[in-house]
Amino acid sequence: MFGEIFGAWVAVFLTFAIFSFLYKDNPFYKIAEHIFVGVSAGYWTSMFFWTQIQPNLFGRLWPSAQYSDGFWYGIYNFFGMISSSIFPEGGIDKGHDMHLTYLIPFALGIMMLLSLFKKLSWFARWGIAYTVGMAAGLRAYGYLNSNVLGQIRGTIIPLADPDLPMFSLLGASHFNNLIILVGTVTGLLYFFFSKEHKGNFGKVTRVGIYFLMISFGASFGFAVMGRISLLIGRFVELITYSSAQYHHATLWVLVIMVGLLGYSAYNDKDNPETERS
Amino acid sequence: MKYISDLILKMSSVDRRWIFLVIALSVILPLYFPLGLPIRPTPTTQQVYDTIDALPHGSKILVSCEYGPSTKPEIHPMVLSVLRHLFKYEHKVYVTCLWPDGQFLASEALDLVGRDEYELTYGEDYVLLGFRPGNEAVVKGIVSDIRKLYTIDAKGTKVTEIPMMNGVNRFEDFDFLFSASAGYPGTIEWVQYAADPTNVPMSTGTTSIQVNEVMPYVAAGQVQGILAGMPGAAEYEALIGVPGIGTSGMDAQSIAHLVIVLFIVLGNVGYLIERNRSKKY
Repeated sequence: MFGEIFGAWVAVFLTFAIFSFLYKDNPFYKIAEHIFVGVSAGYWTSMFFWTQIQPNLFGRLWPSAQYSDGFWYGIYNFFGMISSSIFPEGGIDKGHDMHLTYLIPFALGIMMLLSLFKKLSWFARWGIAYTVGMAAGLRAYGYLNSNVLGQIRGTIIPLADPDLPMFSLLGASHFNNLIILVGTVTGLLYFFFSKEHKGNFGKVTRVGIYFLMISFGASFGFAVMGRISLLIGRFVELITYSSAQYHHATLWVLVIMVGLLGYSAYNDKDNPETERS
Repeated sequence: MKYISDLILKMSSVDRRWIFLVIALSVILPLYFPLGLPIRPTPTTQQVYDTIDALPHGSKILVSCEYGPSTKPEIHPMVLSVLRHLFKYEHKVYVTCLWPDGQFLASEALDLVGRDEYELTYGEDYVLLGFRPGNEAVVKGIVSDIRKLYTIDAKGTKVTEIPMMNGVNRFEDFDFLFSASAGYPGTIEWVQYAADPTNVPMSTGTTSIQVNEVMPYVAAGQVQGILAGMPGAAEYEALIGVPGIGTSGMDAQSIAHLVIVLFIVLGNVGYLIERNRSKKY
């Protein structure tokens, strides 16, 4: 119970500390910002290590299923003396067989880490080259199949289907299909730069710009909606933590923080540098 | 008239901190005093519901959680509602995460809905396979051989010892995918590397900001419906008849949008007045 209440107070403090930036940059905001960066980096590193490197890399190099007293597991036992939680006695039991080919990604990973040392930083290029090559190859196929072919298929729509209504607010209709056709063609033509956008061609590409602007407007609207949703989420938690169960954490933290910021503003009132928000 | 235009000019040049305060009030007040505005499901939300509803009882469903605490208010209510819908029809639910933070949020959702509400058994009715780093490479790994990627679940249990993992070897062994996505890697990667190449149907729930990006896949039939941000979550809650955080936030959302639109109009009118005056003089 203490942990839950303490967690609520921390959550309230960090929420108000971040919100305080809306007033102006201040030490509370800085504290929250630094904690966020530190905790995120720590959490990600720990998750990456314990969900991938330890079970899937070390687990394949030194599986418990093939444990022996040979040289290879001698190295493992040496590491085990350094950290028995990462390298437990008798090999790593994560359901893998031994795959020494995993020494290659292991080596590439170490090469990436060598970028920390100036003289050896060139090693990192090999790891980066592998990552870039793999990602480029993987993405080329995905984009071609889903974004190019899939989307082209999606825009091949009937314009003279007798079963379709002329207008429909939602769903397929002759008018909506015509908009998809015109929007796709004019939007694509706008990005055709081999011909100057003048005359009739310019008029058509202008229609393309209008479609793009509508899309940007929709994106902005959705962005606003998203931000408000997140704000609602924070406020819902602040309201929850304002109850007696959490010793009115929201109220106390708000009062203390506003008081301290007010006191700081009062002290700085004659200093034009700090007054600027 | 001059008085009104002066007032608008004054309001359009107000300190931004007053605007923040008004937005905050427009969100807080409806949370304390709900208006009960009606929630009507949009066709894309209805499509998600219908697709899940049409699945045969006891289907194998992969739910992928690609979100974190920063997007929890939008995505988490969707995950809770979709899980309630899935467990109602006794589907077997397998949860993976492409985001590390997704793992503990998925665990929270499964504990709440699977364990506490439906009193289901972990490993027999639902399983949390957890997070694996690698972005789209993880999706590709699940498509080709899930057992190579997941030899243990999030609790460290070997998948060979989990009863519901019997017969699950690759993505095509699943009947449906629901991706709860807040960005990259997420819905788009699932479409590109899993759903499109295998023809396994998928639906998604995304943050509002992602909707425009994902909508073309929905329109082209590559994704069976989309839950668009918090309103999408609220609509789904209405469809399954279990109101939650999504529903309670919708009044605040509507009022806040109205206030923002008002500010935009005011700002533009102020700009036009200012421009006209500067032309005059």
